[in-house]
Amino acid sequence: MKDLILVMGGGIIGLSCALELSRRGVNVRLLETGRCGGQASGAAAGMLAPYSENVEAPDEFFMLCRESLSLYPAWQQLVRECSGNSFEYTPSGSLYVAYHEADLLGLQSRMNWQRTCGSSAVILQGDDLFEAEPGLSRKALAALWTPEESHIYAPDFVTALKSACLSSGVDIQEELGALDLAAWEDHIEVQAASGEIFTGDQLVVCTGAWAGELSGKLGMRIPVQPIRGQICAYTWDAEQTPLNHMVFSSQGYLVQKANGTLVCGASEDIAGFDTSVTDRGIRRLLQWNKNVVPALEQAEPFHRWAGLRPSTLDGRPLIGRVPQAERVVFAAGHYRNGILLSPVTAKLAANCVEGRPLQAWQHAFRPDRFGVAAKVLRS
Amino acid sequence: MNQDTWRIGNHEMSSRFFLGTGLFPSPFVQNEAIAVSGAEVLTFAIRRVNLDAVEDDSILQHVEPEAFQFLPNTSGARTADEAVRIARLARASGLSDWVKVEISASERTLLPDPIETLRATEILVKEGFTVLPYISDDPVICRKLEEAGAAAIMPGGAPIGTGLGILNPYNISLIVEEASVPVIVDAGLGTASDAALALELGASAVLMNTPVAKAKDPVGMALAMKLAIEAGRLTYLSGRVPKKQYASASSGLEAMVSRPSSPDVL
Repeated sequence: MKDLILVMGGGIIGLSCALELSRRGVNVRLLETGRCGGQASGAAAGMLAPYSENVEAPDEFFMLCRESLSLYPAWQQLVRECSGNSFEYTPSGSLYVAYHEADLLGLQSRMNWQRTCGSSAVILQGDDLFEAEPGLSRKALAALWTPEESHIYAPDFVTALKSACLSSGVDIQEELGALDLAAWEDHIEVQAASGEIFTGDQLVVCTGAWAGELSGKLGMRIPVQPIRGQICAYTWDAEQTPLNHMVFSSQGYLVQKANGTLVCGASEDIAGFDTSVTDRGIRRLLQWNKNVVPALEQAEPFHRWAGLRPSTLDGRPLIGRVPQAERVVFAAGHYRNGILLSPVTAKLAANCVEGRPLQAWQHAFRPDRFGVAAKVLRS
Repeated sequence: MNQDTWRIGNHEMSSRFFLGTGLFPSPFVQNEAIAVSGAEVLTFAIRRVNLDAVEDDSILQHVEPEAFQFLPNTSGARTADEAVRIARLARASGLSDWVKVEISASERTLLPDPIETLRATEILVKEGFTVLPYISDDPVICRKLEEAGAAAIMPGGAPIGTGLGILNPYNISLIVEEASVPVIVDAGLGTASDAALALELGASAVLMNTPVAKAKDPVGMALAMKLAIEAGRLTYLSGRVPKKQYASASSGLEAMVSRPSSPDVL
């Protein structure tokens, strides 16, 4: 009999892991406390932007992001084919906008290292910049244009992923309420709020901002904190100057979607598991975004929402097998880059389930890397 | 150690740890790290701040402004004029009248341009700023910056973000010896022993960002650095023993040869 793999969590990471595993011929059952894609995945702006998200240096996290970007064309095609759904996937490229002359040094050094890592970025200034992005504020001094970055419409993509999972034979169980990991040594047992017990041979933990609930249980600490992101969207029809690129600044981003909306994000709030939208959080967005696109001065967002990003202590996701609990594989804690990192995470997690080792550089993501002891010193 | 305070201008401090707010993986981790560090001075790049609405800035919104002395820096500036313009913007927004002058000559090494730094320091001191220039570990230029009115001198241990530690401890000692304003070792530190060494050499404080923010556990590292800074300071105050070329038994050679053979000798 084939092994049964339980996937805990039906966000983009859980759905991607489930799809990848089932494509490799494994039996998969996905367990979700609420509805699939109901948290950060459905709230995300869907930017696939490893260069704009990693401005300092090409470290392991950047390598992971870039590898995932390179997997996206084939991965999203697979999701399309398996699901029969369509969704927006736009190779818009990005602009990272600078307003101070002092930003140019940083843009230059960022461009220099990124051009050795698969980017063909150039710095646009003056007429070149405003020709590329006519709606951009004339206060912008320069921008780093990275043609390789793209974006996807996350809510539709997550819906398509779920359909793809179902058509590939994944058993999806939703609305289970709180899930408790009851056994993990000889086999896996997960108990739902109703008392129903799901058993399996291995477990893939994809519980995002809730991954910290397992801290201590598996003999290691799992320092994952929710960081709330508030986003708003404007109606952006044919009368408005279209935004050709994703536009990043030090304060946030703007991205136009094919459905006639302009999405502006995002706050980073310390608010526990509270997903409320606050006046202050949205006001912050409205105050700076007109410095990027002046036409927003006259616009009013029609939609405001919030999601919880799973943030780890070092900002890197937890991907890999737990040495102290060998039936458990982690794929969680993707913070701002869950949509981008979903294909590479699915492949690495599936490799772990199959018993294949991670490459040396991928040990930067080991779920047990935070150990147990450091906290004792601090008490 | 409770009474071991120090001053920049009229501002009295007990912490000797200046912490940079960039590069942290999340605002939660940043705030935890700031809390355990005990830092009283926070530094950040002015160009990254939303000066129109500082209270809504993506990073500063998470920090209680009343609880800290802000030290905005001019990083990214390549000339004195640029640095001066940036400093004026920061003061006009109400951020602080302290400024860390940081003028880089090369985007690869980010090493400070001493001539432009001296010029910017002269201008900003005249304009009433409390000026803390980031500078190379050269005792001569440090002396000139002090003469120009710098409120503290901030020599780098190594190029920014390299984590190479204090590459020339001799120069740092000389700078400390000659300075009559506080010396703050800024840039290039990598680990707790580097911070301890800076204080052992007599520096008044250290400024760090990367070694804390990019550590695997930034909160744990912030505490480690705080303890190292305290240990280094206490070492400096307590006076280390001189270095010797050859062994000398810690129990004392004379005591061993003259050990009494019988109790009644006593």
